[in-house]
Amino acid sequence: MGTRGFGFGMADANITVDGKKITAPAGSLLIDACKNAGIEIPSFCYYPNLSLQGACRMCVVRVDAPKMPKLQTACTTTISDGMVVTTDSEEVKQSRKAVVEILLGNHPLDCPVCDAGGQCELQDMTFTYGASESRYVEPKNHKQEQQWSPVVFFDSPRCILCYRCVRVCNEAMDVAALGVENRGVSSLIVPNGGDHLDCEECGMCIDICPVGALTSGSYRYKTRPWEMNHVSTICTHCGDGCKTTLGVRSSEAGMEILRGDNRDKSGINDDFLCIKGRYAFDFANREDRLRQPLVRKNGVLTAVTWEEAVTAVGDKFAEVKQSGGVFGVIGSPRSTNEEAYLLQKFARSTLGTNNIDHQRTADFPAFVSALAGKPEMAGSMRDAYMVPAILLLGGDATDEHPLLAYQVRNNVRLHSAKLYVVNSQEIKLKRQAAEFAQIPAGTESGVAAFLAGDDSAVAAIATAITSADAWRALRETLRSAQNLLIAFSSDLQGDGIANIAKFAGSVSGAKVICLADYANSRGVADMGLYPDLLPGYASAAKAGLDLAGMSAAAQQGKLGALLVVGANPVYDLGFAADSLNNTFVVVQDMFLTETAAIADVVLPSASAYETSGTFTNTSGDLQLVKKAGDLHGTKPDFEIIVRIASAMGVDVSTLVPLGAGTTADMGQSRGAQSGEADRSAVYLQKQGLEARVSPFDAAALFDEIQRLVPGYDVSRMNLMAGNDVRTTTAGKAAALPASRGESLRPAHDTLFSSGSLGRYSRVLNSVAENRDSKLVEVAAD
Amino acid sequence: MSVVKDIAAVAKGMGITFGEMFQPTIVENYPDGPGPLKGAKFQERFRGAHVLQRDENGLEKCVACFLCAAACPCNCIYIEADENTEQNRVSGAERYAKVYNIDYNRCIFCGYCVEACPTDAITHGHGFELASFNATNLIYRKEQLLAIKPAQLGEGVTFNKAEMDRQGSTAG
Repeated sequence: MGTRGFGFGMADANITVDGKKITAPAGSLLIDACKNAGIEIPSFCYYPNLSLQGACRMCVVRVDAPKMPKLQTACTTTISDGMVVTTDSEEVKQSRKAVVEILLGNHPLDCPVCDAGGQCELQDMTFTYGASESRYVEPKNHKQEQQWSPVVFFDSPRCILCYRCVRVCNEAMDVAALGVENRGVSSLIVPNGGDHLDCEECGMCIDICPVGALTSGSYRYKTRPWEMNHVSTICTHCGDGCKTTLGVRSSEAGMEILRGDNRDKSGINDDFLCIKGRYAFDFANREDRLRQPLVRKNGVLTAVTWEEAVTAVGDKFAEVKQSGGVFGVIGSPRSTNEEAYLLQKFARSTLGTNNIDHQRTADFPAFVSALAGKPEMAGSMRDAYMVPAILLLGGDATDEHPLLAYQVRNNVRLHSAKLYVVNSQEIKLKRQAAEFAQIPAGTESGVAAFLAGDDSAVAAIATAITSADAWRALRETLRSAQNLLIAFSSDLQGDGIANIAKFAGSVSGAKVICLADYANSRGVADMGLYPDLLPGYASAAKAGLDLAGMSAAAQQGKLGALLVVGANPVYDLGFAADSLNNTFVVVQDMFLTETAAIADVVLPSASAYETSGTFTNTSGDLQLVKKAGDLHGTKPDFEIIVRIASAMGVDVSTLVPLGAGTTADMGQSRGAQSGEADRSAVYLQKQGLEARVSPFDAAALFDEIQRLVPGYDVSRMNLMAGNDVRTTTAGKAAALPASRGESLRPAHDTLFSSGSLGRYSRVLNSVAENRDSKLVEVAAD
Repeated sequence: MSVVKDIAAVAKGMGITFGEMFQPTIVENYPDGPGPLKGAKFQERFRGAHVLQRDENGLEKCVACFLCAAACPCNCIYIEADENTEQNRVSGAERYAKVYNIDYNRCIFCGYCVEACPTDAITHGHGFELASFNATNLIYRKEQLLAIKPAQLGEGVTFNKAEMDRQGSTAG
C-alpha cells in the first residue's frame, strides 16, 4: 500500500545514501526509499498517495555529484541503480535553512494562538532544520481570516502553499472544491464558491494542512494538542467502521470531546474521515443530555436516584413476568456487540421472551445463509482498496458509505481498478466507473437474477442507456473479472442476495459485501437481536414478535412492558405514541426522545464514545470501541441492563460470566507489589483468561461471545492492539427459511444526516442549514 | 608566633562582624516590621504570587497558549480558552483565557511559567501572604491574579461591550 504503480514488479536498484547502501525497487521515489531505510528527508508538499508537486523545495538532496549540477528534489526523483545521494552535507543543510527562512518571511509568528501550535510541521522543521533568526525586517503582509463554511476557516498569511489541501480535495476526495488563484508569491488557496465552500465538508483539507492555515470551526481556539487525552475509538455513525481518535479533556460534566481525526493512520480508514467522524461527536456534549433517571409520578416525569429508578423497573418487570404479561424489547444498531448480546440474553433468559427486535437496515440472515460454507467470499473494507475490480449495486456510497466510496475511488486512482456501477441514479461514483449501467428504480433484484443466469430478467432492467445487449456484454465482462468485489445496498434482500452470491460463486476469487446503515448493524444481527434468530443466526425454537408484531400487540393493549435500548420506536419505527398508554415503557437513551417523553421510566445512558466494547462494521471487520470518558450521571447500557436484572432478583453471574476463566493470582502472594510485573496476570490477559471481577465488565461477556458466536473466534491480541480483525460467516446455520420476509427500514442517510442521532449534532445541523440557505440564495437569483 | 597569627586572624574576622553590626539592616522584620504594604523593600527577582499583566490598552496579555501549564512541573495551572469576539474583546490576540486558575496548594514558585510565557503575560509579583485556613481558598482565579487596569486610562474605564453591559445592569 502507498506505493505508486510504477514501483511494482520492477527490479531492485542499489543506491548509496550518505555512504549507506540501500536496496529499493527501481523507479520508486528517492524520498520513499530513504524513509524506508530510516533516513529522514524533510518535506512539506510531498504526501503519500497524492500527486507530486515539488513546490516546497524542502527535500532537496545532492544526487550523483558532480554530474547533476544542482540539488535535486527527493520527492520527484526516481531511483536508479548506482545512484549516490548525499542528504546531510553542509550544502543541503544550508539549503533547507534558507527554505525555512523564506517560508517564515511572511508566516506570522503567532504560534501561541495558532491551533496548529504543538503539531505544526513548519514549527517542527524550524526547530530541526531552520535558522534561529530571520534577516527579514520588512513588515508582514497581513490578511483577514476568512470563514469558508461552518467547519472550515482559512488564514492565508499562515499558508505555505504546499497545495496538499488542493490535491487531497481534488484527487482523494474527487470534490475539487479548492483551487489556486494568482501566481508566484501572490498565489492564494481559494474555495470554489468564491467566498465559501460548496463541498462535502469532510475536513480532509484541515487535517492535511501542515500549518495552521486551515482550521476547524469546532476545534479552533479551544485548547492545545498536548492538553487533551487522545482516545482512538470507532465512529458511531455509519456502518463503515472508521477509526477516529478523539481529543478529550475533562470538564464539569465529566468529559468534553473537542476533536476527532485519524492522523496516525491506524484503522481501515487510513487518514480519511467524513464530516460525521470528524465533527459529529458533538451530540455527546449537548446540554440537554439526560443526566438523571426519570420516573413518571402522577403523570409527570420526575428526576430520581438511580437506585429508585432501577428498583422501580425491576419490581415492575418481576410483576409483569409473574402475571404472565407480554414483554417487548427493542435494541439499537448502535449498541456494542456486548450490549446487544447481553440484551438478547436478558430478554430470553431473564424476561423469558423472544419478542426482541431492532431497526434492520440490511438482510444479514439471507447474506450469511447465502455465504454458508464459503467464508472466503465475505469481502472486507480493506478489499475495496486492493481488489482489481468492483461492482457497486444500488445505493449511493458517497452519501451512505463515505469510507467505501473513498476506498473505491482511491483504488481506481492508485491501482487502476475497474469500477462497474449499477444504479437507478447517476451517482457521484459514476465518474470513476469503467462502466455505468442505469436501471429503472427498484429493479436491483432483477439485476441479481440476471447476473445469476436468468436471461428473462433482462427485459425489466434494460433502459435506454443500457440495452439488453449491453447487459449481456457487461455480465460477460464481470464473469471474466479476477477477484471481483461486489458491494450491494439494502435494495437487495432475500432471493436477491442468494442470486448475487450464486453469481459471485461463478467468478474466480469474487467477494461480497452487504451494506447496512448503522455503526453496529452487522454486529447486532450477529448477536441475535431478532425474534426468530439466536446469536450466530441459529433459529429460535419459537419465533417471538418483531417490531410490527410488538406495535400491533401494544395497539391491542396486550403488551405488558416494553424495554427500549437506544431506539426511538415512536419516531421512526412505526409505533403510535398513544398505543403505549397501557404498556410499562422503559427507555434507555441519551436524550428525552419522542419515546422517552411517553415512557414510565427513563434511564440516561452513555453514548458510544463513553462505552467500551466492540463494533462489527458492515463488512464484518471487528474493532475495539474505547471509552473516551464518563459523563456524570449516565451509565453504559450494559451496566443498566445488569442492574435491572439484579433488581429483579436474578443472580447477575448467570448473565455476565463473572469470575469465569480462571482464578487468578492477583499478585498479592508473589511480591508483585515490589514493582515486578505480575507475570501470571500478564500471561492470563494475553490469553484472554484474566479473572473478571465486575458484573459491568463488557469484556467478560466478550469472552462468552468468542466462545459461543460462530465467526467471532478472532485473534484477541490483534483486537486489543487496536487492529481490525475479520469475523467470518463460517459455520453459521444455513437452514434459514427461504423467505423470512425481512422488513428493512434503511436510513438513507446523506453525508449530513445520521439516522435519528444526526439531529442532535450541532455541526451537522449548521452545515445542513448553511447549504439550504445557499440553495435558497441561488434559487432567488 | 603562631599564637599571634591566630589572634590576628580572629580579630580580622570579628572586625567584619562588628563592622556590619553598625550598618543599616537589610532584611525586613516580618511580621513585626512595616511589612509589604508599608514600604518594605523587595528584591526585583523575588518570586511571589503571580500577576497576569495587561497591555498598554488594558487588554489582557494572556492569549491562553497553555505553555505555562505545559511548563509547570507541579500541574498547578488550569486554563480554559475561548475566542475573542467583536462584542467581547478580552485579549489582544484571537484567543483569551476564559478561566485561568493557579492552585497555590501545589505551586512551588519555580518561575518556569514566567520563563515559558511568550507574551510576558504571567509574572511573579511580590505578594507572599497567601496562608489560609481553608485549602480551597488557595486556588486563585483569574480575577484574583489580574493586574489592575492602567492608571492613565482613568477611573472606571471599560474595555469591551460585554463589560459595559454588565456595569450598566449593576448600576441600573
